[in-house]
Amino acid sequence: MTAETERRSKSTARPRFLSELTPWRTVKIAIVLGLLVFVPYFSDSAFITTVFISAVMFGLFAAIYDLMIGYAGLINFGYAGFIAAGAYTSALAWLHFGVSPWLGLLLAGFVCALLGFLTGLVSLRLRGLYLALMTFFIGEAIRFTISNTPDVTRGMLGLSVAPFPDIFGIDFSRGNHLNYYYLLLVIGAAIMTFMTVLVRSKYGLAFKALREDQLATESLGISTTRYKLINFTLASFLTGIVAGFYAHYLGILSPTPQEFGVPRTVEILTITYVGGRGTLWGSLFSGFLLIGFQEYFRALGAWRLVMFGALLIFVMLYARRGLAGLKKYVW
Amino acid sequence: MGISVLLEPIILAEIMLQGLVRGSMYALMACGLSLIFGLMGVKNFSHGEFFMLGAYVMFFVAVFMDAPFILGIGAAAAVLFVFGVLVERTLIANLRRRAGRDWLLDAFVLTIGLMIVLQNLALLTFGSTRRGVPQLVSGMTEIGPIFVTNERLMILGASALIVTMLGLFIRYTRMGKAIRATGQDPEAAQTLGIDVNRVYTYTFGLGAALAGIAGALLIGIFPAYPTVGFHPVIKSIAAVILGGLGNVPGAIAAGLLLGVIEAYTTFFLASGWQHVITAGLIVLVLIFRPYGLFSSAKGDRP
Repeated sequence: MTAETERRSKSTARPRFLSELTPWRTVKIAIVLGLLVFVPYFSDSAFITTVFISAVMFGLFAAIYDLMIGYAGLINFGYAGFIAAGAYTSALAWLHFGVSPWLGLLLAGFVCALLGFLTGLVSLRLRGLYLALMTFFIGEAIRFTISNTPDVTRGMLGLSVAPFPDIFGIDFSRGNHLNYYYLLLVIGAAIMTFMTVLVRSKYGLAFKALREDQLATESLGISTTRYKLINFTLASFLTGIVAGFYAHYLGILSPTPQEFGVPRTVEILTITYVGGRGTLWGSLFSGFLLIGFQEYFRALGAWRLVMFGALLIFVMLYARRGLAGLKKYVW
Repeated sequence: MGISVLLEPIILAEIMLQGLVRGSMYALMACGLSLIFGLMGVKNFSHGEFFMLGAYVMFFVAVFMDAPFILGIGAAAAVLFVFGVLVERTLIANLRRRAGRDWLLDAFVLTIGLMIVLQNLALLTFGSTRRGVPQLVSGMTEIGPIFVTNERLMILGASALIVTMLGLFIRYTRMGKAIRATGQDPEAAQTLGIDVNRVYTYTFGLGAALAGIAGALLIGIFPAYPTVGFHPVIKSIAAVILGGLGNVPGAIAAGLLLGVIEAYTTFFLASGWQHVITAGLIVLVLIFRPYGLFSSAKGDRP
């Protein structure tokens, strides 16, 4: 490819992206962003803000999960273990070595990325159920290691985590939910932008090829091994950052199955599938739908989970594209 | 307690027996899973809930109706067979027709949904109380230097009997032959006049019934409660994979092996680490022999 054609292909890429931004769509994006930014601000209720934080946080986890399962077809059944690794990394780094939680976020990202890389490395030859089982055991091994080393992690007693220290004069004491919410929005915007750019690049195409047909992908000269590792490592890195936020926002961690075991992984997987796999943004919307639903129907107890499971079955049977299937009517 | 006491052959033999009892449960579960997996490719994650339902059926027959436990096992098998047939007809078959090419991952996720629904419906209906039967069979038997409870002997004997019956069924009956033919080549089987959809439904029911029997048999050790099936299903999936894709005898052997390994690690290490050890072992096997311990490398790779 000559320099000339290369420049031309780059210059044509930009108008294509911009042409998707019709005036009507710009208005709709502005409305959604406006709601995200201003509803917690004007509602002036700590409850609304905490629900928004949970919804965005789980929406982000689900979107990252989508990067693995929806784009590359990689099923990570120990995902909650990776969240635990990230959350504990940041919390313990502060507790034992006095590392600032702001650096802790990055550190959590790097530790998770390393774990993701190693997981990718040991499961290179595996797919489907085999990969699910392998990642399940890795996730559980992380969780059991945390609960079996109470000297370092306080195990099942639970670890209390410091809030973020103030930065640029912004107050991050616990209870100041609104500032935590805006911090999360900034982190989330960065992560979503990064993932959107990623899946539109040649990497995204390679991921999709990996999902569709591993053998055909190999025969086209695309290294499935390489892209699998890239996918796992990047997704784990992003998970670590959100998990670090999770730790310092929540203030208490304990390695129970509900928090870092299969029930949590299933919850995130449900959000991803209801949102529509292979869409990234669908997960954020379904995060709001399902977390909101969960908070609203808190009194229903176990019925809530029955409805969750039934919804998952319904989506698999009759609405395989999830919420994203509704996109053409509203977007 | 010195290490020499721990290494007494009698104690080692007793642990071995404990492991075999546990392993026979994994083996029964893994049988059904492997049958379904080998034939349809479906990874049934709600298999543990079939185990749980079997345990509840046993509890109601043996405690509420005070009937002999053999009836309970029969009832569990019958109820779970019907339930499995219904699940296959209403959910799995529907999904297969609708979803097209890559329906297997969808089927796996669907069974996760089914798992959540069944677990929580059980929680709502029966509560979280552990409902067990102290002993199905009383008494002890002396075998050489060790004493064994009759309950354990009954579990081992019944498991061996059921597995043998399953083997004979698959080998000699019409339905068994149809199952094997469909497993080898569904299209060719259909050409020969085998109703493949019926075979799928039947096999799914059979697998569910095996899980139900396991739940009923082990109620003395694992009382019925909503999430009792989780641990067995994970271990039996591991056994299916260790045994090799759709290799039923391999799954049985791997199930027994897992039970024994688990019993020894629980005994020699502080509690809590045994899961890490078994997980580590399985991870090693998946790395070095992903086609299973008892299958050869030829054929489909995972």
